[in-house]
Amino acid sequence: MAACRQWVEYLPPPDGVLEKCQRISRQALMNFGLPTHELEAWRLTDLNRLKEILNLPISAKDNELKIKTNESFVKAPNNIVQIIIDPLKNPLESTNLPTGFKVLSSKELQEKLDQSKLYDSINENWTIALNHASTEQILALKIEGKELPPLELVIPSQAGFFSPTRVILLLEKNTKLDLLQVVSGSENSAQSHLIDIEVGQDAELQHNFIALGGGQASLLAQIAVNQMNGSNYSFAALQHGWALSRLEPRINQLNGKAKTKLKGLQISNGKQQLATHSSVQFNGPEGQLEQLQKTAASESSHCIFNGEINVPQIAQKTNAAQLSRNLLLSNRARIDTKPELEIVADDVRCTHGATISNLQEEELFYLQSRGIKAETATSLLLKAYCQEILNNFHVDASRWFDINNLLARIK
Amino acid sequence: MNNQNKVIDLVSKPYKYGFITEIETEKISKGINEEIVRLISAKKKEPKFLLDFRLKAYKQWLNMKEPDWAKLGYKKIDYQDVVYFSAPKNNQKKSSLKEVDPKLLETFDKLGIPLSEQKRLSNVAVDAVFDSVSIATTYKEKLAEHGVVFCSISEAVDKYPDLIERYLGTVVPINDNFFAALNSAVFSDGSFVFIPKGVECPMELSSYFRINSNDTGQFERTLIIAEEESCVSYLEGCTAPMFDTNTLHAAVVELVALEKSSIKYSTVQNWYSGNEKGIGGIYNFVTKRGQCKGKKSKISWSQVETGSAITWKYPSCILQGEESVGEFYSVALTNNLQKADTGTKMIHIGPKTRSTIVSKGISAGNSSNSYRGLVQIGPKAFGARNYSQCDSMLIGDQAAANTYPYIRSQQPQANIEHEASTCRISEEQLFYLQSRGIGFEEAVSMMVSGFCRDVFNQLPMEFAAEADKLLALKLEGSVG
Repeated sequence: MAACRQWVEYLPPPDGVLEKCQRISRQALMNFGLPTHELEAWRLTDLNRLKEILNLPISAKDNELKIKTNESFVKAPNNIVQIIIDPLKNPLESTNLPTGFKVLSSKELQEKLDQSKLYDSINENWTIALNHASTEQILALKIEGKELPPLELVIPSQAGFFSPTRVILLLEKNTKLDLLQVVSGSENSAQSHLIDIEVGQDAELQHNFIALGGGQASLLAQIAVNQMNGSNYSFAALQHGWALSRLEPRINQLNGKAKTKLKGLQISNGKQQLATHSSVQFNGPEGQLEQLQKTAASESSHCIFNGEINVPQIAQKTNAAQLSRNLLLSNRARIDTKPELEIVADDVRCTHGATISNLQEEELFYLQSRGIKAETATSLLLKAYCQEILNNFHVDASRWFDINNLLARIK
Repeated sequence: MNNQNKVIDLVSKPYKYGFITEIETEKISKGINEEIVRLISAKKKEPKFLLDFRLKAYKQWLNMKEPDWAKLGYKKIDYQDVVYFSAPKNNQKKSSLKEVDPKLLETFDKLGIPLSEQKRLSNVAVDAVFDSVSIATTYKEKLAEHGVVFCSISEAVDKYPDLIERYLGTVVPINDNFFAALNSAVFSDGSFVFIPKGVECPMELSSYFRINSNDTGQFERTLIIAEEESCVSYLEGCTAPMFDTNTLHAAVVELVALEKSSIKYSTVQNWYSGNEKGIGGIYNFVTKRGQCKGKKSKISWSQVETGSAITWKYPSCILQGEESVGEFYSVALTNNLQKADTGTKMIHIGPKTRSTIVSKGISAGNSSNSYRGLVQIGPKAFGARNYSQCDSMLIGDQAAANTYPYIRSQQPQANIEHEASTCRISEEQLFYLQSRGIGFEEAVSMMVSGFCRDVFNQLPMEFAAEADKLLALKLEGSVG
């Protein structure tokens, strides 16, 4: 409790369009205190690292932002709308938005914030409260159109600082968009990112999320998606390199009849702890879900997956499939996986599965018997394993990472 | 009436074992305190080590909190409003059945467990437990010829105190959980089985538990020890009368399997489940755990759970010995406002250990049926394997089926597979069977039976028939 109180007291007084959010969240944080292992959602999280996040100062203006990848990649090709989200600056200062992208006015934004169940969720969810307590800038866009250029949101880090960032995207009816988010961490940076997405009726969103850390960097990210009927949302995420990362995709199919696809890949080495806590809520009939979560844990790392699926009585004819596949590559690594299904409707098809093992000896043997070296065979199989998720990434996303490089780090 | 409604009606069948036996009993006063614990121990003329065991458990229990993580939402239990010991009067253990109160024999007769010599089941030895005490154990002499000890735990405390002292509380430590601690403090009776080295138990062993009075909690304790290269199959059945009040049942079962031994433990649980409005019924909070201590030992749990208002039960295996095997086969049927939270824990410690989990949940009415299980592979469990399957069948759109499998691995040379699905009795399937001249009831029965077959196949012969009958019974009747 004391750690949270101290952290809140250190924050500048509530101000701006997010003033109300900040006030409620700070109070909520002080009431919560730090999460404990007794809470189901935080049972496996490394709380010491979480505490360290609160010891970092909030981003300051004169510090240099770091985008940790090859500089030549950063510049977006001309056909992409790239926005760099600095926790302190208005992210749109240096960007010209093409047609179809419109910034929400502060009145619209205020309405949006008041309408949503945001204030309730602040009191229920620690990660949301932490983000809202400290965010000062918000990027809120209304997007409409069928032939839009891909949108790329780059979220850099500041070494030694905690940076909170907040985005709202509203996809209007029938809109079609490719969205790429890149979060990069460096040294001992910490980030809290929260994105709210509304996928309008019959709209379609391909969402790629690349989270590449480094050093002792931490990330707490929440992706809250509300889907209208007929909408199609597909999410593909890659996590690697964080001392502590926690990705929380929370999907709500508001009236059913929507399609959701969730694909995730966690590659961990060293002492990293990578977690995905997904939640899919079906609030109407005929919803569909296809979820595949893959992890590869090496050295002394720890990978966590918790996949909640909730099918209430109203959600008849839901068709949901969830699969968690895990590769445990070292004696010191650890994997925890927990599918979580709550079903009340009877006319549904819900399946889930989970596996944990090393690479199959038979497959390795097969490749070796054809003259391929053991090492090459291993990396081939690993690459094939990851490819099933990476196939869901947009062509332009691949310039942010090199999968061979990533896999070379796993021993 | 459409088929879906018919199915719903079909699962609502009155409870057959709800009668009360009018018999004079000796009860101690309500409530729990150190004096009560001492009193129970004194009544049973227990040695000092057991009294110390009880007192230690009681002290630990006082500092423990009732678990609420399963979110079962039952009324708070007033532990001072429970009678912790009740026994039929003149409960001196009888040398022959002729001396046992005929009313008691009649009760067990009515339950389908004849104890008298001419009627008893030919190849099953039965230990009948009525409220807090064991009434009779059949075929004791025949078992003794093989060196098998099968008696009530009180008798074992008297005759084999060294075995009790050595094993009691080793698998389920007294502070394991709230209900296990309570049981350790006040346990009344239960069964004790000891299979000596190299002996294959010549017959099935069985315990039958009957709760008769409405304010008495039942706290039985079962301990089964299988020495090297021995083998035993044990069955357990339970029923209770219908009362408007909730009765507490907190049992502890401990199994110890030494090298190359095998224990098969089967349960058909049919406690009273309360009426359709959720009034009355048994709170069934049970801790069951087996320890595969020796190399190549095997413990197999099979259970058919149809009764109880609330079930909170996770029969587990600690797979310590190299190449030891754990199995869990379960069918849980819930109806009306019943809540079942059941599953298993498979803790793989030793290398090359294997475990199989097959869980089938059927939920009807407004009930909620959850599978909650843990598969944990420790760093030394090289070559361990686990396969889990949990399927749910939903009858009606008010019933809930939840699945919470916890899976953890710290050993790369281990394989874990888990799969689960949800289905219902669909109109098309019913139509198909009915169009081939099969009656509606039979069709539903066939489908449920088929759904549960993987589990029924694991039950001992006598029990498989009983379990199938029990499900059919719960599903039978009321179709116009």
